Amino acid sequence: MTLQPRIAWRIALEEWRLMLRNRVALAAGLLTFALLVTAAWVSHEQRETLASTRAHYQALVDDQFDAQPDRHPHRMVHYGHFVFRPLPALAFFDPGVDAFTGNMLFVEGHRQNSTVFAEARQSSLLLRFGQLTPAFVLQTLVPLLLLFLGFASVARERERGNLRLMLAQGVAPASLLLGKWLALAGAAAMVALPAVLVLALGVAVGTASSLAVTTLVLVYGLYLAVWVGLAVLVSTWAGSSRNALLLLVGLWIASVMMLPRTAPVLAQAGNPLPTRIEMDIAVHRDALAVGDSHNPDDPYYADFKRKVLERHGVARIEDLPVNYAGLVSAEGERLTSEIYDRHAAHGFAIERAQSAQVAGFAWLSPVIAVRQASMALAGTDLVAYQGFLVEAERYRYRLIQELNRMHAEEVEYENDRNHRISHENWKTLPEFHPEPSSGGDPTRAVRAFAVLAMWSVLLAGLLAWRGRRLGVL
Amino acid sequence: MTNVLHTELALVLRSRLALVSLVLLAAIAALAVMAGLRTVESQRDAIERSVAAQRAEQALVARQYAGEEGDAGQVGYYTFHPTWDPPAPLAFAALGQRDVQPYLLRVRLLGLQAQLYESDTANPEMALAGTFDFAFVLVYLLPLVAIALVHDLVSGEREAGRLGLVLATASAPVRLWRRRLLLRYGLVLVSVLLPFAVGCMVAGVQLVQATAVAVVAMLYTAFWFGLFAFLAARVRSSANGAMAMFAVWLGLTLLLPTAANTLINQAVPAGRGVDLMLAQRQLVHAGWDEPKDVTFERFFNTHPEWRGTPPVTVRFHWKWYYAMHQAGDDAVVPQVAEYEASLRARQRWAERAGWLMPGIAVQVTMQRLANTDLEAQLRYREQIVAFHAALRRYFYPYLFNEVPFRTKDVDAMPGFTPAPASGLADRQSLVVLLVLAMLAALCANRLLRKVE
Repeated sequence: MTLQPRIAWRIALEEWRLMLRNRVALAAGLLTFALLVTAAWVSHEQRETLASTRAHYQALVDDQFDAQPDRHPHRMVHYGHFVFRPLPALAFFDPGVDAFTGNMLFVEGHRQNSTVFAEARQSSLLLRFGQLTPAFVLQTLVPLLLLFLGFASVARERERGNLRLMLAQGVAPASLLLGKWLALAGAAAMVALPAVLVLALGVAVGTASSLAVTTLVLVYGLYLAVWVGLAVLVSTWAGSSRNALLLLVGLWIASVMMLPRTAPVLAQAGNPLPTRIEMDIAVHRDALAVGDSHNPDDPYYADFKRKVLERHGVARIEDLPVNYAGLVSAEGERLTSEIYDRHAAHGFAIERAQSAQVAGFAWLSPVIAVRQASMALAGTDLVAYQGFLVEAERYRYRLIQELNRMHAEEVEYENDRNHRISHENWKTLPEFHPEPSSGGDPTRAVRAFAVLAMWSVLLAGLLAWRGRRLGVL
Repeated sequence: MTNVLHTELALVLRSRLALVSLVLLAAIAALAVMAGLRTVESQRDAIERSVAAQRAEQALVARQYAGEEGDAGQVGYYTFHPTWDPPAPLAFAALGQRDVQPYLLRVRLLGLQAQLYESDTANPEMALAGTFDFAFVLVYLLPLVAIALVHDLVSGEREAGRLGLVLATASAPVRLWRRRLLLRYGLVLVSVLLPFAVGCMVAGVQLVQATAVAVVAMLYTAFWFGLFAFLAARVRSSANGAMAMFAVWLGLTLLLPTAANTLINQAVPAGRGVDLMLAQRQLVHAGWDEPKDVTFERFFNTHPEWRGTPPVTVRFHWKWYYAMHQAGDDAVVPQVAEYEASLRARQRWAERAGWLMPGIAVQVTMQRLANTDLEAQLRYREQIVAFHAALRRYFYPYLFNEVPFRTKDVDAMPGFTPAPASGLADRQSLVVLLVLAMLAALCANRLLRKVE
């Protein structure tokens, strides 16, 4: 089978001429293009608003914290602090799970709280129809546009009798298919251009990591190439252009609408998460099993006391150079935090197992692979969210232990309850200001590449096989 | 007449595309019903497990602090009480917001506003794609099968070269089109409603509610058949017909709702929840540094019945602590109302969007019927507020009159009982669906008369 590049190119040119003359196709293409531009703009505005709101609140609570009056440090342990989840730079491109996670977390002593005020809980039911973002347009709508533009590419030639004629004139089937593929791929590139431009702009301005953006462009490019290949393949296969269209749309529905919604049901059924109540109770039980700091006869704390006295070489806690109550608080915090972390890690592992199970369906539905890779690269996926929770917990622990240290070192044991320390101390405590990520780890897109490569090879093979049969017919 | 229908039915079912799409629709609807039932079942399990565990824990903890010298303040501080929002029988068909809204929350005697917005553990990635339930099949997938069945209604005859013959032999061709449409309409409806009916029987849904959903499905399906028939009468080729119908479906079920969501969220900000939480916490903690009289004065303004109780002279007293928490809650009442009003405003605008987009009207009606919408969530929140008030009413006499909290008082603590779901249909959305369906049918009828 020979490939004639010039003929393939001429076929592609002819196809583009037809697309431009077909008013419906042209309108659909322009509409999708406009939609992508709008999505990029609207989504960017939203990201800026959200990011500045969160930064504003973070600054506000930081000020409120610093402005607290002279107090006992343990009062500050209960006053606690709020941390807000910063939005990654690429959240405008793909906000990922952001709308489904809370953006504010109350950190306090003795407890790990849940994040609150998720956008999805405050929105009307419309949020579930989708969010107008570049990722949504590229994952969902551009493939559909490509199917509309490409369903008739080969079927039309067959229906009009041109196919026989072209083959008789010496056009190799491979050139024909390549030409059709090129034409459609060109259309895809044109429509997707605004997305590439805004991403490049992000790199130019310095907010987005060039590595993450390059990987994003590659993933989406390969994804759209797969849809183009699928459209051409089905068009060579189907008896009529009508059947080609119906079959292609059927495939789109199954892979873009059905599977991404069914996979989570199965994943959650296989790996159920314990509820928050169950987790809190389990933590409480585990903590009691270690020791009860409120109980003077508790064996664990009796032992702890003995060790502290030994270390300082004194016989009574009144003789300690530090405040024993502060030490007990710090020890209690250390123990409960360990238990909380263990349970949180267990929950995280279940969530990741659920996501991995959904990822298994990516082999059937490439959109799942692209969605997960896109979120990972934008830094807005489950792993990034869990990363925030871990970081916030680390911050909480540092803050509380720092307050417990003040309790131990600056508050007199005898007059513990009435002692207050200067408000100047609050200003020395750490603040929570993680850098917003400029993009996720490109290695997290490996699965997407594997899935898309599998589909590319499969489609190329089928196209080559179909091409040979096309010549025989 | 039955003979004609019989022939038509045989014609439809002989078409491979028609048969496959109908079987597929029925299979997917059955799958969605099963998935919905399964999700509801697992939520019921989670509620049952958690409530039982919390009750056991509660009894243990409360008894630890209650007794002859028991202090109600300590019992109130350490005892959590479970609250829950069980799924209504119909919830399996329209899971609505139940996957993102908490349906389990434990509360204690402390300030409620700091506890009310806690969320349950959930994997956000699982909620991202949206729920897979009967409403999803109805709203998104049923119109697509309608396209497969109707897109070549007229053009198919034309392409087969039979159109002239059909128009010449039929005494009134519009009746032929109508008959064909009604037959396909019936087949599509039966494919989705049969699995739904089975699901209703399994879940024990009331007949009225099941019927209401069936009516919604009938109106919604009628809208699409009318609209598609209108288009089928206009287009020249079947491929163009299919394309035009997909485009309309895409616009009405995916694009416009997405755009509407963006507009509504921009127009009605709902960030005030953060403000009220911050304000409540500032008030509560400032209380520690103020003279106790100031806090009590604030508390007595809303709770005058405790004004005459013994004053607090010691450094710490539980009744002062709880008064401080309650004063914090009372002070943010206007902000809470404002926050909930903004949530309701968003929901109202979404309902208005349903006047133009029937898919939204269907979701609104079904979620209201199934008690899975925002309104249901706010109702659950109201129940928690009422329960917290009952809890306070129970504990205040012990606290303010300084009466010991005995072990027997533990058993008399108020418990939470969820209110039965209202599950009323949203009449406005039903009317909207009816009007839309009738409009589409009228337009289709008009154009089909003119087919030549």
